[in-house]
Amino acid sequence: MANIAAQRIKREFKEVIKSEEVAKCAIKVELVNDNYTELKGEIAGPPDTPYEGGNFILEIKVPETYPFNPPKVRFITKIWHPNISSVTGAICLDILKDQWAAAMTLRTVLLSLQALLSAAEPDDPQDAVVAKQFKENAEMFHLTACHWTNIYAGGPSVNKDFDDKIKKLVEMGVDEHEARVALSSYNWDMERATEQLFS
Amino acid sequence: MVDYFQERGFNTVEDADRSREEELERHIMRLMADFNLFDEMGMPNQLAPPASPEIVNNLPEEKIQETNCGKCDICLKEYEKDETVKIIPCKHKFHSECIIAWLTKTNSCPLCRHELPTSDPIYEQYRKEKKRQKEREIDIENLHNSMFS
Ligand SMILES: [Zn+2]
Ligand SMILES: [Zn+2]
Repeated sequence: MANIAAQRIKREFKEVIKSEEVAKCAIKVELVNDNYTELKGEIAGPPDTPYEGGNFILEIKVPETYPFNPPKVRFITKIWHPNISSVTGAICLDILKDQWAAAMTLRTVLLSLQALLSAAEPDDPQDAVVAKQFKENAEMFHLTACHWTNIYAGGPSVNKDFDDKIKKLVEMGVDEHEARVALSSYNWDMERATEQLFS
Repeated sequence: MVDYFQERGFNTVEDADRSREEELERHIMRLMADFNLFDEMGMPNQLAPPASPEIVNNLPEEKIQETNCGKCDICLKEYEKDETVKIIPCKHKFHSECIIAWLTKTNSCPLCRHELPTSDPIYEQYRKEKKRQKEREIDIENLHNSMFS
């Protein structure tokens, strides 16, 4: 890795670790390898959102040209959010693309991602299915996002009805995650989800 | 998103096929976004073009007189005595090599996004258009305020 990128990350690393925000906003960065090319980020779901109480892990890849190019970030923890792919964890956020600036740091990135969890931008979606639900059925979106937070990020709100529906599909031989995706995509309508899974 | 297909003449579908077509389109866009194909194709997600080389070459410079007078926000290193910094029009300063590396990539201040001129005629046209649009909005708002207050 180019020296400048590694040195920059080393300096930032101290900044994030030292910063009081780590405790306050619950953001965290850890090294994955010794050459600073790959890091593991962690953000806590913000209060008063369906992500509250959840802990979300991020994969951070630092390009050789950092900080002149943004880090490549994606969610490892599965999440139901209009700007994050429910399939790959890819993120649609301007500062990770055309609005990146060389003075930004991992700390700014993590705080921006936390802000994205508080304020989705459904008109610039990464996941069209989630974005559609977010716009057309806010209540259903909220319940679904809470459920995903509960299952994948350790969030507190258990949804008995959703769990039962998934169990039924699993008993029919469907993979649990696939069942969850199908049900989530069809507003937890058993009939339509089943139809899609078995078509 | 739809524009991308419309531009390429994908809009000649019968109404009956329309919703099916839209569904397919959504799937394709989702796949492309998921695998970051837009980035690789250099599509919408790109940084603005570099600052004009002439402007970059003529940026005023300064020599650092003493250590402990702040840090460069690009490399995050403290300034040291005798290092050269460049000052850009918004008055922000950075190590010469740091800011040159950035401005040869894109035209704005890494801290405040103040834009420097580029040598890309299409981008300059786009920027002018954006500015004009903003001015028009302000004009309309002023007009509105003068009429209703
Ligand atoms: Zn520097
Ligand atoms: Zn500036």
